[in-house]
Amino acid sequence: MSQENQNSRPQGQGRPQGRPADAGSPRVSRVDASVASPVKFFFASALLWLLVSSVLAVITAVKLHLPGFLNGCEHITFGRLDAVQRNVFFYGWASNALIGLNLWLLAALGRFEFRNGWIATLGGLIWNLALTAGVVTVLLDSQNAFELLELPRGLAPAFFVAFLLAALWPAVAFARRPTSQVFVSQWYILGASFVLPVVYLLAQLMVLWCPTNGVLQALVHSWFLQNFLLLWLGASALAAVYYFLPKELGTTLNGYYLTTVGFWTLFLFAGWTGPATLLGSPLPLWIQSSGVVAAVMLLIPLTITTINFFGTLSRDSGWSRAWNNTTLRFVAFGVVAYTLAIALQIVFSARSLNAVVRFTAFTAGQQQLLTYAFVSMVIFGAAYFILPRLTGAFWPSAKLVHLHFWSCALAVVGSVAGSLFFGWTQGAALAAGKPFAETVAPQSALLGTVCAVLFLIGHAAFAINAFGMLTSCSSSTDEGRHA
Amino acid sequence: MKNLNLILAGVFFTVAAPFGGLLLSGHAQLGALGRAPAEEGGPLFPAKEPGLAIQGRQVYLELGCVACHTQQVRPAGQGKDIAQGWGVRPSVARDYVLQPQVALGNRRVGPDLANYGARAKSDAEIAAHLSAPAAGSAMPAYAFLFSPAKDGSLQPNERGTALIAYLKSLRQDYSSPEAKLKQ
Repeated sequence: MSQENQNSRPQGQGRPQGRPADAGSPRVSRVDASVASPVKFFFASALLWLLVSSVLAVITAVKLHLPGFLNGCEHITFGRLDAVQRNVFFYGWASNALIGLNLWLLAALGRFEFRNGWIATLGGLIWNLALTAGVVTVLLDSQNAFELLELPRGLAPAFFVAFLLAALWPAVAFARRPTSQVFVSQWYILGASFVLPVVYLLAQLMVLWCPTNGVLQALVHSWFLQNFLLLWLGASALAAVYYFLPKELGTTLNGYYLTTVGFWTLFLFAGWTGPATLLGSPLPLWIQSSGVVAAVMLLIPLTITTINFFGTLSRDSGWSRAWNNTTLRFVAFGVVAYTLAIALQIVFSARSLNAVVRFTAFTAGQQQLLTYAFVSMVIFGAAYFILPRLTGAFWPSAKLVHLHFWSCALAVVGSVAGSLFFGWTQGAALAAGKPFAETVAPQSALLGTVCAVLFLIGHAAFAINAFGMLTSCSSSTDEGRHA
Repeated sequence: MKNLNLILAGVFFTVAAPFGGLLLSGHAQLGALGRAPAEEGGPLFPAKEPGLAIQGRQVYLELGCVACHTQQVRPAGQGKDIAQGWGVRPSVARDYVLQPQVALGNRRVGPDLANYGARAKSDAEIAAHLSAPAAGSAMPAYAFLFSPAKDGSLQPNERGTALIAYLKSLRQDYSSPEAKLKQ
């Protein structure tokens, strides 16, 4: 494998927020133009879903401390809205954005002019229609009892075909191009694009279509969920970090020779970690212990990514340069969050600690650390880099960029810290023998509402800026757009 | 590309290994697990759910009750579920063999319901909790599961009755070969 940035120069210092690295007139290269249509479609869809998810998150957060809020209609009970919000966030926001991001990275890294982009767009269209149908079904009819498999099983074939068209087919088409260069980001994208459809299909079959016996459903579900979180969302976001970090710092990646080991050990162990989320369940102990061992083995890829990312950021004033670069500010935030999230997963797979925090808000905080503070922040950073290159326009407002970063950063720090703290204190009180009703802290739900509002403000700022850019791009002339 | 096959083969192995090592092995161990008596000649447990409870399970799933309630009692040493009064013994795999969709849950905004049927005193108590939860509870009132009766009181409608029947059917207070109750 070779480094993505061997010939790049230092970039990104001291330029206005929101401006692309190659300051001056933004231009759309032939490679970027080849993927512009599907990538813009995926990012625009992701943004719309993000706004829907943010509004739903505010409503569900209020419902947690004011149960009577909007309680007149059975279609907007907490149980339904919570499931919809989660699915909209993961399938609507994160997955749409990562499909678009992966597509752009494949094209950019390989200098690969993507043909038949309409196939990916068609996949995206099917994906979003299926999600819309799923959301309506959960609100009006029924849902399944498994996180991220709540949508009706009849939509699974649509999601599967849509992903093949939108993500797997482009990845394979790219990989078959005649070149010997392979970058670490491309490994992660190929791996993530292969893993998701396979585990999604198998999980659908074994949980919903031909359900396995009893608690085995929970085992299959935990396997699916860990694959989804670590090897689809996580690996795709890691691909972006491996690209943007050295690229925007204009340096080589620290310990690049270790990346192969990091990649294979992550993929090798992450799939086994599902049962570590089911400690104390009715599953056989050997299955639970296998999950714990696998979770501890994540120490290897975590060590390698720490050497790669923190080593790179610690050289040549990397942290301060990252702070002054819009993309890197988000990406560096994500890097820290990823390290903390995996470290917490390793530490809290220990039975004694897991017994304290299991079923409390602590686990929700852990998941948010990975999926928002890491994955979503990296997506935001990537969007600030990619969209100007696809549209040939600058971000309309630097103030909105600042508002976006600070709202989301404060919200996620507050939300995660609150979940971890209140989850731990509740678990400790339960372990001390306090009755359950006395362990619930109302401050937790209140903090959740404040953070949900902050998230909504940040996402609205981002959406206004992004749609402003997309609109200005479509209304202006094409002069100078194509290099 | 020369590395494509290597990547896909390697990733295939990383997916296949836990699939075989965990899921298929787990299936080999528990796939054929069925009802069994605690002692030879005794009644089979878990007991089959009445038809109304099966309808109630659907209401439980529709409303997303699993978002706040788990249905699993952890063993002593792995939490204080039994000390909380949520069960008389830890849940075992056999408790779930009749459930078409296992709602173990992963968060407790409210108490665990694995053995709720054994600790609920009456249908009226469950109905009162669903229609007007106690002050301070994070649970909303499920008014749409009730209709006003002639005397002005709220009575559970068809779906409410089914949900109450389902909640009453949630019991893990019997002996099973893996978890015998102390006499």
